[in-house]
Amino acid sequence: MAEQALAIRGVRKSFGAVQALRGVSLDVARGEFVSFLGPSGCGKTTLLRIIAGFETPTAGEVDIGGAAIDHLPPYRRPVGIVFQNLALFPHLSVAGNLGFGLAVRRESAAEIRRKVEDVLTLVELQGFAERRMHQLSGGQRQRVALARALIMQPGVLLLDEPLSALDLKLRRQLQGELKRLQRRTGTTFVFVTHDQEEAMAMSDRVAVFRDGLIDQVGSPEEIYRRPLTRFVAEFVGETNIIEMRAAEGMARLVNLGGVAVPLPPGLPGEAVLSLRPESVTLLPPGSPGAIAATVTDLEFGGMTLRVLAQVQGAAQPVRAAMPSERAPPGLAVGALVGLGFDLGAAAALPREA
Amino acid sequence: MSVASSATTSGLALSPLARVLLGLPKALAITAFIGSLVGLAVASFTAPDGSASLGLYRDLFGSPATRAAILRSLWVAATVTLACLLLSYPLALFISRARNRDLMLILVLSPWLTSIVVRTFGWVVLLGNRGVVNDAILWLGLSAEPVQIIFTPFAMVLGLTHVLMPYMVLSILSALLQIDRRLSEAGMSLGAGPVETFARVTLPLSAPGALSGCALVYLISAGAIVTPLLLGGLRDRVIGTQIFQEIFHLYDFQRAAGLALILVVTSLVAIAPLQAAEGWLRGRISRL
Repeated sequence: MAEQALAIRGVRKSFGAVQALRGVSLDVARGEFVSFLGPSGCGKTTLLRIIAGFETPTAGEVDIGGAAIDHLPPYRRPVGIVFQNLALFPHLSVAGNLGFGLAVRRESAAEIRRKVEDVLTLVELQGFAERRMHQLSGGQRQRVALARALIMQPGVLLLDEPLSALDLKLRRQLQGELKRLQRRTGTTFVFVTHDQEEAMAMSDRVAVFRDGLIDQVGSPEEIYRRPLTRFVAEFVGETNIIEMRAAEGMARLVNLGGVAVPLPPGLPGEAVLSLRPESVTLLPPGSPGAIAATVTDLEFGGMTLRVLAQVQGAAQPVRAAMPSERAPPGLAVGALVGLGFDLGAAAALPREA
Repeated sequence: MSVASSATTSGLALSPLARVLLGLPKALAITAFIGSLVGLAVASFTAPDGSASLGLYRDLFGSPATRAAILRSLWVAATVTLACLLLSYPLALFISRARNRDLMLILVLSPWLTSIVVRTFGWVVLLGNRGVVNDAILWLGLSAEPVQIIFTPFAMVLGLTHVLMPYMVLSILSALLQIDRRLSEAGMSLGAGPVETFARVTLPLSAPGALSGCALVYLISAGAIVTPLLLGGLRDRVIGTQIFQEIFHLYDFQRAAGLALILVVTSLVAIAPLQAAEGWLRGRISRL
């Protein structure tokens, strides 16, 4: 593993009786892009503020670049921040915002001017140095906020949902730019978000938070294909939760009306499975091994077609997804179909979770 | 907040009737104000025989006592403004960060619950020759006889500062409370300690509020009557007390009109640069 940029060890934080963080540990390698993903109130923003030094942990420690920083005030930490509302200085120009930290460091005016020019080129805002904040578009402000943090060459750059206020198209575009800048500068990024697509699209690794704990850390693919808990399986992407009991070489699907399908090798006798929609195939009704179901909803999403199908006796409809051009002819709401489950692609989850 | 706002603030649609109803009081106030100013000006430039004349002003500026009163008004107002600024800024900063902000605000505004006469008499009790302060001085043996504090320009400045500080505190506080707390955090994340964050972020963003407080306090203290009368006495006169004297003791309305016009003009001259600076500073702060 490459050199560590950030180490979080056993961090806890209580606000009165409320436990925001209940013992979180995580290592982030230098140059890595890690996302803190979770619903609001899961503790991800609290951890970010602890790393920045705006909150003091109740227990645990934080190292940056191998050195403990817990005793340092925010302004002595090698940490950059891009705030959710950007927090650009409204009384300063673009150059004033970008040069703020350098001026605080007492760098020479010529040096500041050179670095500001460089970082403006980096974020493709050449010629914007003298603009005031109200003369910038949302996307341009975003880039100024990012450049203001990058110019300080922080050991770790913390990003607190900086894209959440933008419309979808601009957000997509800036996600790409953010990722490109991160690679080019080799800066370690810690990105806080509640948007799982955003986390998956940009991160080297994703840490999924739930109730003050990290449920799972892994690459986007790991998180998606091998979720360790039911929460992760359901929070990241869509999934079908299937309770299975093996008997005489067959798998009985308890919560799908008790239908039985051939038991694939390698599964335990009793398990809760997470089966992604793309591992469910639509077959002509009555196909051997298929489970009979009625289509209740179709969602055409351009590239993919999503299908909800009700199995008789099941509490919840089954979700299936396929490339839209491979949809079977005559597929419509109310149609009878056969569902094929690729249980070999399913992830077994701990039963209680 | 971070997205460019497309909504304009001036786009409020009003019906014609609403415009008339809202415009009427404004028109009345402006007409009454301009009308009386013109009346004062005409009166002050008219000689006893009805012809136009500069005689009154030649007279006023020719009198050493009047010249002294005008100058005293200017420097008393300037000193009061400066004292209010220096005392109120730290107080407003403290209140803006206090947990029980509302209680603090009530304490600051509590002097307004009593009349200005009562508040000023409080100072008379404290500063008089047989007041609390002089009792203490005599008892401590710092002086053999009472020190003259009351009926001096110093007492006037003290009393006016006390009376006018709430205006300054409110002006500065409202500016401070509008500053996003994240801006200080952003400053700190860029390496600026508390003092430098204050100097580079909080102070420039609250400066327009402080300047508007200065304009307010200067205007009120330049024209003040009650406090200078009670604490400054009639010897060290200011324009306000002089006007009072002309009207109520000497019945010379023409001189009062001339003095009033001098007060208006000098105040405008003093306020103009403050207003210009405030406007310039506000213009440089982007509304995000």
